[in-house]
Amino acid sequence: MIRAEKLIKSYGKGELELRVLKALNLEITNGEFVAVMGPSGAGKSTLLYQLSLLDEPTSGEIYLDGGKTTHLNQAEKTSLRLHKMGYVFQDYALLPDLTAIDNVALPLLMQGMSKSVATDKAKIALTRVELVDKINNLPSQLSGGQQQRVSIARAIVHNPYIIFADEPTANLDSRNGQLVMEAFLDLNKDGQTIVMVTHEEEYARYARRIIHLKDGEILSDTRKK
Amino acid sequence: MKTHLAGLQKEYFNAIRVGWFLTVRQIRHAGKGTTSLIVFIMILTFLNLIVVSGLLVGLISGSFKQFREGYSGEVIITSEAGRSYIEDSPELISFLRSHPEVSAISPRYNISAQVLGTLNDLPDKGKRANRIGARLVGIDPLQEDTVTNFSRFIKYGEPLLPGDDGYILIGANLLKKYSSFADANIPGLEFLEDVDVGSRIEVSLTFKGGVVVKKDFIVKGIVKSKVDEISTRMFILDDELKRMLPVNQTQVQEIAVRTDYRNALALVSEIKLFMGDNSARTQTTDEAIPSFLRDIETTMSILGNALSSIALIVASITIFIVIFINAVTKRKYIGIMKGIGISPRAIQFSYILQALFYGVTGSLIGLFLTFVVLKPYFDAHPIDFPFSDGILVATAVGAAIRVGILLFVVLCAGYLPAKIIVRRNTLDAILGR
Repeated sequence: MIRAEKLIKSYGKGELELRVLKALNLEITNGEFVAVMGPSGAGKSTLLYQLSLLDEPTSGEIYLDGGKTTHLNQAEKTSLRLHKMGYVFQDYALLPDLTAIDNVALPLLMQGMSKSVATDKAKIALTRVELVDKINNLPSQLSGGQQQRVSIARAIVHNPYIIFADEPTANLDSRNGQLVMEAFLDLNKDGQTIVMVTHEEEYARYARRIIHLKDGEILSDTRKK
Repeated sequence: MKTHLAGLQKEYFNAIRVGWFLTVRQIRHAGKGTTSLIVFIMILTFLNLIVVSGLLVGLISGSFKQFREGYSGEVIITSEAGRSYIEDSPELISFLRSHPEVSAISPRYNISAQVLGTLNDLPDKGKRANRIGARLVGIDPLQEDTVTNFSRFIKYGEPLLPGDDGYILIGANLLKKYSSFADANIPGLEFLEDVDVGSRIEVSLTFKGGVVVKKDFIVKGIVKSKVDEISTRMFILDDELKRMLPVNQTQVQEIAVRTDYRNALALVSEIKLFMGDNSARTQTTDEAIPSFLRDIETTMSILGNALSSIALIVASITIFIVIFINAVTKRKYIGIMKGIGISPRAIQFSYILQALFYGVTGSLIGLFLTFVVLKPYFDAHPIDFPFSDGILVATAVGAAIRVGILLFVVLCAGYLPAKIIVRRNTLDAILGR
């Protein structure tokens, strides 16, 4: 479970202060597939960065699995991200010098696994996103959709507690966008918690819970039955 | 405490492992041109470290080598100060000839002489006579050749042979026509004029009590070397010189001894033990070399190191810039790596290892070039400096120290930019802010 309590994020000071998140409260339980929606400037990505510990809130608290996170130092946050979180970025964010399998195996190597074990697990993850025939391709040799699926494989390879996806379909055509969403759906069916930021209604529909943000506040929070 | 240390050790090991994983892939996919250029700079830096100082020191060491090979052998025995010959020379010569570590010796007579270059010609009024003072050395050409390969110094004419009574070899620096200093106009430095191969000259020796012995010789050859003891002396057969001496005909003034370089010190001790301390001055070549030359060698070494330091600074700045630009252009990816949980330490190691790769590759190629190409080349083809044949002085220990220095500098130059970039905010790096 991940919980945000009175989460505030501001930029600037005094009269120039811009409050992007306004004392936001949110709780996401295990196994949920949450889509965060809202217009540009609503604070969607900022919320995702706070929840995923990539950024520090101005005030408020984030609890991961019941434990406070705001007092953790950078090394501890990095370790938490390595072991408990997976990321899918809008622009795929694959390392250009690493092949698909190396990109996916990297977090496992950092966890201390041997190269052969990490490679085997990476192969399984790439099989899951139907890219086992492209394991030795560099990102530059893959299409946008394929790169995003490699990015998903990297996010799930270490069985994270939660996956964060920031506009994962923004750079994809509708067919590839659907493939990515189906991959998320499959993962969620297996119990994977997913928090996805999107501004596209058609992809948000894949999620079981949709949170609408506006001006740094939750406008609506709808769960599918 | 122990658990903490073990954890830290494991973390470092893992960071190095991941760093290595990233480095290998970065280098594999880096532009071949850029990699080659950086490695080339490292090779030049390494060569600058070892070759510049090696050549500067080699300039002097070359002259030491020539002194040893062309004149002194590994051990040189000369008359003790204040004495005109080596006491008990015949016994010492017998001792040396029977010594198992001695491969060859050349006993030499060495006496002060006056030489008149233009026979029968009286100088014009107000002009000096064509006469100079020089050392006259009596040698056995065959024995001299076994120690110094003396005949190689003949530049014009022919070498002395056994039975060449009445013939003489003259050092090139004694003759105006051939001396390297003829145009220098150095006060007090005089030359024989109009003397060449085939000329007839008169040598006179003056002994105690005013006894003067004169003899005419025909110049058979001109000897030239960058060793002064060859280029400023005259050489005749030892038997002939012996006959010109009124007394002490069996006592020589110099003995050059050829032995293994490593045995020289032990042999000197043995000779001293055999002869007693005051009978002769017995020295290894290194001891016989004047101290000012040693000082010049040290000066050259310092100068070489100073020049090398500049090369080292240039190399470190180059590596710093390369790694910094590399890290800056990959700032976004560094942010992503941190974002997915790759430790900053592992990322730093990847850049440090990359810098070390350039340093190690440059050093290895530099070592190859130094010891397999340049050193053998300069040994075979010394650089023709005016006063010595310069060689490249490079030792395994010296090279190892320079490799160590280069790698340390490269390591620092790789670490700093990586540290600067990796420390930046993760989210800012990802978003390119």
